Amino acid sequence: METKEKIRDILVQLLKVKPEELKDDVTLIDGIGVDSTEMVEAVIALEKAFATKLSPKEITKNSTINEIAQIINSKIG
Amino acid sequence: MVNKVAITGIGIVAPSGIGRRQFWANIKAGRSFVKKITRFEATKYPSHIAGQIDELEKYGNISERLLKKMDAFSHMALIASELALEDAGIDIKKEDPNLVGIFLGNAIGGWLYAETELRDLYIEGREGVSPYMASAWFPAAPQGQVSIYYGIKGFSKTVVADRASSLQALGYARKTLAKGKLNMILAGGMEAPVTPYALLCCNTYGGLSQDNEHPEQAYRPFDRKRSGFVIGEGAGIVVLESQERARARQAKIYACISGYGTSCDGKDRISPDKDSAELTRAIRMALQDANCPPAEIDYISLDGVAMDIWDRTEIDAIKQVFGARSKEIPLSCPKSMFGNLLGASGAIDMIITVLAMEHSLLPPTINLDEPDFSGFNFVTKEARPQEIRKALIISRGRGGINSALVVEKA
Repeated sequence: METKEKIRDILVQLLKVKPEELKDDVTLIDGIGVDSTEMVEAVIALEKAFATKLSPKEITKNSTINEIAQIINSKIG
Repeated sequence: MVNKVAITGIGIVAPSGIGRRQFWANIKAGRSFVKKITRFEATKYPSHIAGQIDELEKYGNISERLLKKMDAFSHMALIASELALEDAGIDIKKEDPNLVGIFLGNAIGGWLYAETELRDLYIEGREGVSPYMASAWFPAAPQGQVSIYYGIKGFSKTVVADRASSLQALGYARKTLAKGKLNMILAGGMEAPVTPYALLCCNTYGGLSQDNEHPEQAYRPFDRKRSGFVIGEGAGIVVLESQERARARQAKIYACISGYGTSCDGKDRISPDKDSAELTRAIRMALQDANCPPAEIDYISLDGVAMDIWDRTEIDAIKQVFGARSKEIPLSCPKSMFGNLLGASGAIDMIITVLAMEHSLLPPTINLDEPDFSGFNFVTKEARPQEIRKALIISRGRGGINSALVVEKA
């Protein structure tokens, strides 16, 4: 599965939002109004799913799905 | 200072029903909703019966996204708030948010959430714990969730005073409104003690009935065969506002809160004081605050813990305040039907009293087959017709917390 699709699936499952609310180029804060606790949960879930270490500074409320996928791809090569 | 504060909306989430109509139909009929606990394996607990609410998620319009961040007690508070606002005909978006407050009481916090996450902490380590844990379990969480949900920004308070919590919250709310500081308040309480750890603590305390084989007959306050109370879960929240404002917007005024009194025994960590002096003083304080002579009270809603010393001292205080009339005034403890909602019990008692006033029906105590206190006018089995103009509600907490509230017809 493409990284972007996997990220979207994880966030939809985790945060109970609709897939169409998570567009590739819209930030999490603008798209789904994510809060700081949800971000903590999201980062932990993405770390588990991709078996990589992610910093809350790399992935923030202002990240888009495209940007998150780019960071993850660069780590998992 | 305005002394009387109007109750204009009722929100109830209880084992006997969700919403005031269903709830009242079951209360007036004297139906028991105490059952064996089914939420988890509880048979090894000395007391494993309770008033439970099943399928809470069917009620209210709260999103799954929000629900996963809160404990059941906040969920119950949100549903009760929604019902109360709807009943009062208030569109909160049209209110000045700075002049709306929330005053809620509970005794134990959100343990269902906390227990699950603590288990994960010990099994999986800190990464296994939901980050929402930090804001889900603590006693002020429902106040926070309700304020966020409705954008409420005025002076608010969470009261933790054991089983007296919500009656105290109502007392504070009235005082705050009476000073003209806010336009309206959502006030009451919520409690969700039907969880493994909370049930264990209640069992350890030793005040619970162990008549597990007869759940419906287990809670029998003031009866000769009483053996302790039964826990229950739920929320009771009302809309309070000044009578002037309520009349101006042509709202239905169920009743008014006109007096409040509170005191502490300052004697023992758990049991009430044997001579009832401080409970007596709290009741007198509430009557004086309401400018209501004892002769005018025509119904008393009892705390009714169904333990010897608690019931005896409650009756003693009534005798001291009301003298010869104490045997004439109708007395009852309707929570015998659905369990003691601990910190939420006082708010539920006030709601029942207000509905009783509306319908001119005295709500019953069930299982009070052989009163241990002779000659008193206990209302038993089912509701009895009688007009109620002024009523007293008593709520008490462990360690000697005494609260009394006077409500009267508008």
